[in-house]
Amino acid sequence: MSHKVLGIVTLLYLFIFFLHVLYFAVKKQKIISLIWASLFAAIVLHTAGLALRWLESYKLGIGHAPLSNFYESLIFYAWSISFVLVVMKKRFDFPAITLSASLIILALMGYASISPSVEKTIQPLIPALQSNWLHIHVFTCFIAYAAFALSFISSILYLFKWKGFMPPKEALEEINYRSIVVGFPMLSAGILTGAVWAHYAWGSYWSWDPKETWSLITWIVYAIFLHARMMRGLKGKKMAFFSILGFLCVIFTYFGVNFILSGLHSYMV
Amino acid sequence: MNVIESRIYRLLASLKTAIFLLSFIAASSIFGTVIRQRADIDEYLSLYSESTYRIIHFLGFDDAYRSPWFIAAIVLFAINLTLCTMGRLKLFLKKGNIPAILPDEKALAAMKMHFFAETAIDGPAISSLKRGYKTIHEEEGGVVLEKGAIARYGVYMIHTSILIILAGSLMGLIFGYKGFIILNKGETKSNMTIRGGNKEIPLGFAVRCRDFKVSFYPGGQPKDYVTSIEIIENDRAVLEKNIRVNDPLNYKGTYLYQSSYGTVPSFTFNIGGDEVILRERDTYEKDGLIFIVVRFANAVHDFGPGVQLAYLDEEEPKTVWFLKNVERLKERNIKGIDIRLENIAEDFYTGLEASRDPGVWIVWTGFASILLGLYINFFIYYRKVYIRKTPDGIIVAGHAFRNHYAFREEFEKLKKRVLSQ
Repeated sequence: MSHKVLGIVTLLYLFIFFLHVLYFAVKKQKIISLIWASLFAAIVLHTAGLALRWLESYKLGIGHAPLSNFYESLIFYAWSISFVLVVMKKRFDFPAITLSASLIILALMGYASISPSVEKTIQPLIPALQSNWLHIHVFTCFIAYAAFALSFISSILYLFKWKGFMPPKEALEEINYRSIVVGFPMLSAGILTGAVWAHYAWGSYWSWDPKETWSLITWIVYAIFLHARMMRGLKGKKMAFFSILGFLCVIFTYFGVNFILSGLHSYMV
Repeated sequence: MNVIESRIYRLLASLKTAIFLLSFIAASSIFGTVIRQRADIDEYLSLYSESTYRIIHFLGFDDAYRSPWFIAAIVLFAINLTLCTMGRLKLFLKKGNIPAILPDEKALAAMKMHFFAETAIDGPAISSLKRGYKTIHEEEGGVVLEKGAIARYGVYMIHTSILIILAGSLMGLIFGYKGFIILNKGETKSNMTIRGGNKEIPLGFAVRCRDFKVSFYPGGQPKDYVTSIEIIENDRAVLEKNIRVNDPLNYKGTYLYQSSYGTVPSFTFNIGGDEVILRERDTYEKDGLIFIVVRFANAVHDFGPGVQLAYLDEEEPKTVWFLKNVERLKERNIKGIDIRLENIAEDFYTGLEASRDPGVWIVWTGFASILLGLYINFFIYYRKVYIRKTPDGIIVAGHAFRNHYAFREEFEKLKKRVLSQ
């Protein structure tokens, strides 16, 4: 059942993508409203899909939040981007931004459901993950990743010229900065809740596990970004490149560590 | 301070140095994630050539986070952060001592956000405007209001928290230790083994494993493993608890964690009519018979599992194998006593991680205050609103020190409120 709902959600994001194409073809303001309405519908359905998967895991007798393997984390990452987009609607109200975001969401949903290497069944929770810290840790981390994805989008858009498509440069700069302002405290909270959890599960709040180390590297990159922006007036292309570097670290922390390096976080989340 | 001292001070207290040090720490942390850390030499030599390993070892990349240069970078960063923060705080306090002033009309009209209104300065419109703001200055010609003043302390909170966290972890490094305890069912131990080398240090109490249980999911993955533990002090059981993954036991600052489990063989012997259960390295002594259980082998040649005993015969050491699956080799006579191997069973043992970290509460305090500081710094912002009498009414101007976007909206609302009155 949850698979079906999530399938519909994916189709809905595809529909949102086509709405954007339509908008850029005819430039009718009404389509923008339709895009946002569809995004709201998508996040509601997406949430329902996750909730259903949660319920289904209880029916299997291994009840746990759908945050425990790679498939679930991809779906949840897509959810987080959609969530941040909708919550900060006022800031992200540019079709180029929502278009790029929906493309990323679509890619995540598509990868999760199509790739044969991604295990899609609900698996039982190994003892190390059986903790309430799981929810808050994963939630804060993925909201941070989502905010950073939006700052990445605005940075990429900043680097290109396309009249009538691109939002104004200052707006992109502001989106870039404000997204990081949301992402940075969230990433901090994610790292810290992870540390507290590690203390109770592994006996040490910091063990320089590759995931921990890379999240710290990401944190440092964004910390430097914020200082350069607030104290040294970082802006323009330099700021965009800096933000892209930060997001590359995020991608490595999320995917790279799992695929390339080994460590305590070997459950692919 | 002489010239060189002040130059060093300026260098250490600069943002540039902070950025350099942070970049250095971030970049050099990568080594530890791509090169195996704290492994045996053999493992490195199987991965790298000898000369490469020498370079890795010389640079400390095989233990990157404990290498002198990495620690030096963190110490320098701590000093830099302290000086930076203190320098900023000094400036901030100096500014704070200057009384708030109300700029003249021209200066207010030059501000990006301002509007004129034809109302009296003491009218209802102004008192409604003052709501939600703190009046920090009042003179005949007008007032200065502020909001979100706490936001200015956020940065000091964040920086201080980082120093607190570093101090807490330093305390853990100096006064804390980490080890492990392997316990068979029913076994009691009062020492933990420190990893790397077989140093043992006393726990200060004894732990007894009352029971250990593993359960599995239908698919075969481990579901739960629980050690039922008893803390013994002065020969008295003072505490009982079930330890599982994610649910450690804290006794007087020492944490005991469920970390692993495994199996050990146990041997049931019938010795002269008595049934005795022994494990590897156990010694049996009774009625002049002394022997040691030397070792267990899963397959002795092709004859299946067996256990080797050692004993002294006329001052001469001798060993003998008992094989479980070979009837002829199940029973022996040592010094006139019949010994028969009845069974070999696999018993679970539990692996507990033990650690003591007196700095952990300091680290938690740092965590809590950094989160609060981040919230204050990024989600609250400081703004001032000025109201001044003009010949035709009033001028209202505002300025936010960050988050201009949100303030513009707030200021628009203020404007509406005043103009609609």
